[in-house]
Amino acid sequence: MATSTIWANYQADKAYDEMINSQGNARSLCSTLAQYLQTLNTDALKGRRSAAEAAILEMGITFTVYSEKGNIDRAWPFDIIPRLIEFQEWKKIEAGLTQRLKALNCFINDVYNEQSIIKDGLLPADLIESSSNFRRECIGMRPKFGSWANICGSDLVRAGNGEMYVLEDNLRVPSGVSYMMENRAITKRVFPELLQNLNVMPVDAYPAQLFEMLTSLAPNPDSHPQIAVLTPGIYNSAYFEHAFLAQRMGATLVEGNDLVVKEDDCVYMRTIKGLEKVDVIYRRIDDLFLDPEVFHKDSVLGVKGLMRAWKAGNVALANAPGAGVADDKVIYAYVPQMIKYYLNEEPILPNVPTYLCSDPEQLAYVLAHLPELVVKPANESGGYGMLVGPHASKKDIQQFHKLIQDNPRNYIAQPTLALSTCPTLCDDHLEARHIDLRPFILQGEHSFVTAGGLTRVALRAGSLIVNSSQGGGSKDTWIIHTEQ
Amino acid sequence: MLSRSAERLYWLARYLERTENTARLIKVTMNLIYDLPYGTEVGWHNLLTICGVETAFNDCGKSPNEQNITHFLVADQNNSNSLLSSLAFARENIRTSRELMPDEAWEQVNEMYLYAINNLDNLSNRRGRVVFLQEILRGCQRFTGFIAGAMSRNDSHRFICVGRNIERADMTTRIMDFGTVLLAENRSLIAREYEGILWLNVLKSLNASLMFRKQGRQGMQGKDVLSFLLGNPDFPSSVNYCLQEIAYCIAGLPNSTALLEPLNALDRALLAFKMDETTPLQLHEILDGLQIDFNTLHSHIAQTWFFNNLTE
Repeated sequence: MATSTIWANYQADKAYDEMINSQGNARSLCSTLAQYLQTLNTDALKGRRSAAEAAILEMGITFTVYSEKGNIDRAWPFDIIPRLIEFQEWKKIEAGLTQRLKALNCFINDVYNEQSIIKDGLLPADLIESSSNFRRECIGMRPKFGSWANICGSDLVRAGNGEMYVLEDNLRVPSGVSYMMENRAITKRVFPELLQNLNVMPVDAYPAQLFEMLTSLAPNPDSHPQIAVLTPGIYNSAYFEHAFLAQRMGATLVEGNDLVVKEDDCVYMRTIKGLEKVDVIYRRIDDLFLDPEVFHKDSVLGVKGLMRAWKAGNVALANAPGAGVADDKVIYAYVPQMIKYYLNEEPILPNVPTYLCSDPEQLAYVLAHLPELVVKPANESGGYGMLVGPHASKKDIQQFHKLIQDNPRNYIAQPTLALSTCPTLCDDHLEARHIDLRPFILQGEHSFVTAGGLTRVALRAGSLIVNSSQGGGSKDTWIIHTEQ
Repeated sequence: MLSRSAERLYWLARYLERTENTARLIKVTMNLIYDLPYGTEVGWHNLLTICGVETAFNDCGKSPNEQNITHFLVADQNNSNSLLSSLAFARENIRTSRELMPDEAWEQVNEMYLYAINNLDNLSNRRGRVVFLQEILRGCQRFTGFIAGAMSRNDSHRFICVGRNIERADMTTRIMDFGTVLLAENRSLIAREYEGILWLNVLKSLNASLMFRKQGRQGMQGKDVLSFLLGNPDFPSSVNYCLQEIAYCIAGLPNSTALLEPLNALDRALLAFKMDETTPLQLHEILDGLQIDFNTLHSHIAQTWFFNNLTE
């Protein structure tokens, strides 16, 4: 590969590289792409990148970052080199993700009703009681189809052995799906000739599938239900996505004070015609801000009485309140057992081995091996509050030692995975950068998995943190049919 | 349709109309000033009056020359009526209404805004300023054209149409009010000598010169120009036409009965008007009255449909 300057000094030997094998040759799946990149010189490649950046600005693809100077809309960070996955492998991943969400929903439904998984001794009761995302208010509820987590974003990583693992399941208000679609729209502008010549699965089906899923949740799905997307407002980091999804579905984008719950326990929105009934709410607000009558009293984002309306069955909420109980990194460790317990199936996708600090034996191991482990708080998202042992200072390690000892239930640890890498345009040449993948899974009456997902890339050399709020970027993800 | 969204679309349209009007006004004034001899009472300061920002400009203590006035009207972000402020407000309103409009509508406004903030340096010389204003005008026209061809005539469209026409009618009365200066008995000899050119430019500032001529019969008489701008039933910037559009859109909206009376009042005011029997001073008072009526109409619209005024 050393013939072209853009590949000069490309090192793919430190982890599994998605494009280049350990001999330094392009994997067969990526041969067309690699050959094509070979034909581009430095200037051509930079030109493509400028085109992508211009498209992002024009299309207004932004995310909001909080800073001391107020909220800033940043242009979406995008790397033009796509990440490829073979269709047959993807089929297996898709089946694994569908299976996983089904089991998670069985679990949530069980936790708020019979609690048979606890009674049968598979899961200690105190794990649920101590979970900060367990909502007593939801006990006894049975949403339609037993489906609590209707929209899930699971993070997948490929380890050094080439195998895909599930790193975590985001069941509260996962974001990123709009960027997955916009990334493809940008790539169509930047590499049209490549998309033409390769058999890449389209990603645009998502909004229609989301709409159908939300419709299926309506108390009366046959009567053209009124669907609303509930956003915390323009200052939320994912406002772009909320507006994007509402627009693509033809749904109404509402804020808390657009909605009101009347004495009949139904939800209405304030329209130019007066009050109009709302049947399904895709809420992008955390549980605790949903309803000041039940949760945070001072929440101005939510709607007074929303929980009443939901409990009365007059409105569907997606995801259901309380679904986050399964979005807990301690509960995560039990998912393979859940799959066997609820579905009587073998897990298709493996978990990353996980040490629970709540278990004294595992805690001792974790404390003794902090420099080689990744430690995560059970209920954080966005990559915050983590310790990456091999990259951490002595001081950080001491600090986590204490944090974990003070509150072992709140921490899990995993071996530091050598996340796979993918060629990424750095300045004027390609370098290997670590990536993960967030596919989105829907479950209402039916299940659906996006074709690929959002590939996130850690733009700093060697970094394993892919979150966009912490200097991560993204790539278009191509699921490729290789058979003719 | 959400009340919040109705309000945003209405303001989106008003701000975009204001952006376009400001750009055209400055472009036309530049052309006019090159034609006039030095020392005419017509000059850059008239633009401040037309845009209603005379006091605001005087407060910032700069001398009223071409450079300072155009900067104030186009690029000054402290002037909430400047072209750039209007464009920024328009962009914020459409950014928060994206679920109601095709993507291209947002992209059009966003691109125009990015062009404006990236090319402010061009405003310092006349040549650059012409190019800048031309690009903004084209952007506004692309937006209008796109909406005309790609948006259903639904409630969203009605609020856009109402906002645009209120703003447009308001601007037409402001420009007409400037015209009353040109009719004044005590106007200078130069103003009398250049009367034809002045009235032509009044028409141009509303894109009206060809349509005025096409309706036949008259030359460039001030009273005829003003009658045309006020009462012509077919020209899109005439006050009469704007009011028809507003009435038509409002009739298609729910709960519109409260609006019938203020609309009728405006109609009566227009019908009662006889140009030949009106002195410039009376005309000025009539135009003032119309502007107050537009504000009243706006308050009624806000009370009937917009978010802040809703009670449970």
